[in-house]
Amino acid sequence: MKTKGEIDFENLQGLHWHKMGQSSFTGSLLELFKDLDQYFLRWAAKWKAQEYYFPPFLSAAQMQKLDYFKSFPHLITIPVVLDDAQDNLKAFSEKAVNPQGSILLTQLSDVRQVLTPAACYHFYDELEGSNLHQAKFVTTRCVCYRREKQYTPLQRQWAFSMREIVCLGGAEEVKTYLAEFEDLLQQFFQAQGLPVKFEYATDPFFNPASNPKYLMQKLDPVKKEMIYDGQLSIGSLNFHRSFFGETFSIKQNETPVNSACVAFGLERWMYMMVRERGIAPEAWTL
Amino acid sequence: MKSEAEVKQTLRDWIIKAAGGKISQEQLQNDTPIIEERIITSLQIMDLILQLEKITGKPLDVEQLKPGVFRNIDSIYENFCGENGDEN
Repeated sequence: MKTKGEIDFENLQGLHWHKMGQSSFTGSLLELFKDLDQYFLRWAAKWKAQEYYFPPFLSAAQMQKLDYFKSFPHLITIPVVLDDAQDNLKAFSEKAVNPQGSILLTQLSDVRQVLTPAACYHFYDELEGSNLHQAKFVTTRCVCYRREKQYTPLQRQWAFSMREIVCLGGAEEVKTYLAEFEDLLQQFFQAQGLPVKFEYATDPFFNPASNPKYLMQKLDPVKKEMIYDGQLSIGSLNFHRSFFGETFSIKQNETPVNSACVAFGLERWMYMMVRERGIAPEAWTL
Repeated sequence: MKSEAEVKQTLRDWIIKAAGGKISQEQLQNDTPIIEERIITSLQIMDLILQLEKITGKPLDVEQLKPGVFRNIDSIYENFCGENGDEN
């Protein structure tokens, strides 16, 4: 059996690595993916979190309200469609792709959407303008898209799956939720013998030194990452204060809600399980 | 060189002005959490850093900033203007 760190993830049985930054998987690996998500859903059930399904697009206008394009232009993936004028479509159809595999775009329609960069954004968009009567717990799993300089199977992908469990409510309720979830995770990692530590972190801002939001996160940390084996963040706990509540006018008793999310990167959890427990699927049971 | 009380008063005046009515002279104590309570927003942090550079006469390396140094007037004084001021 290969020891930790020597596993060839590109050629893992059941995994097809697409060098553009995506993985397909089947068989035992797909079972591991589903089992992990079921585990996250069991945690979500502790807070009676309501599950949602969301489509892949988010409105650019909504993301603009969050200053997303200023903070993370390097991460964003933008879906485009061609202008549907007949001559434009004809020109495209005649020479759509060059020999290097790049699409030769002709005139585009207005671009008004982005592909989901993080699952929880959908909730703030969905709940915009609402008034909550009590703290709300919600969960979803989305394929998320983040452009990176380089990609590694399961560890760093352009497209990956994220499960998030979000709490919206008063500041104290939200802080309690995060503290309780962190305790639960600490106990889980310890019981499973998984080398995961919690560390304060900042979001990967573009030009961080000139971004006040980055500075604020350094001075007043609101993000804790679950760092596996000192090398890879497999999830995070994030306290947003009333940022989303104010931006999207989501209120509780007429006051903008605080919010927090706990996020899990599924492919990274798969990586951790395989690297820690070896390639035999019997050892992946939680 | 200004005294500790003078520096803290300068900081207090600046924060009250920046807060734009969110807090009064009487309410803003030396231990009032100015970031946690959102008296100062992320946009104003940059201005506060410039103000501090003016007070201390020294440039401030934002990469070296640590959590808690801007918690309140006391911690700002302690970390940037007091005896340990050079450490940040």
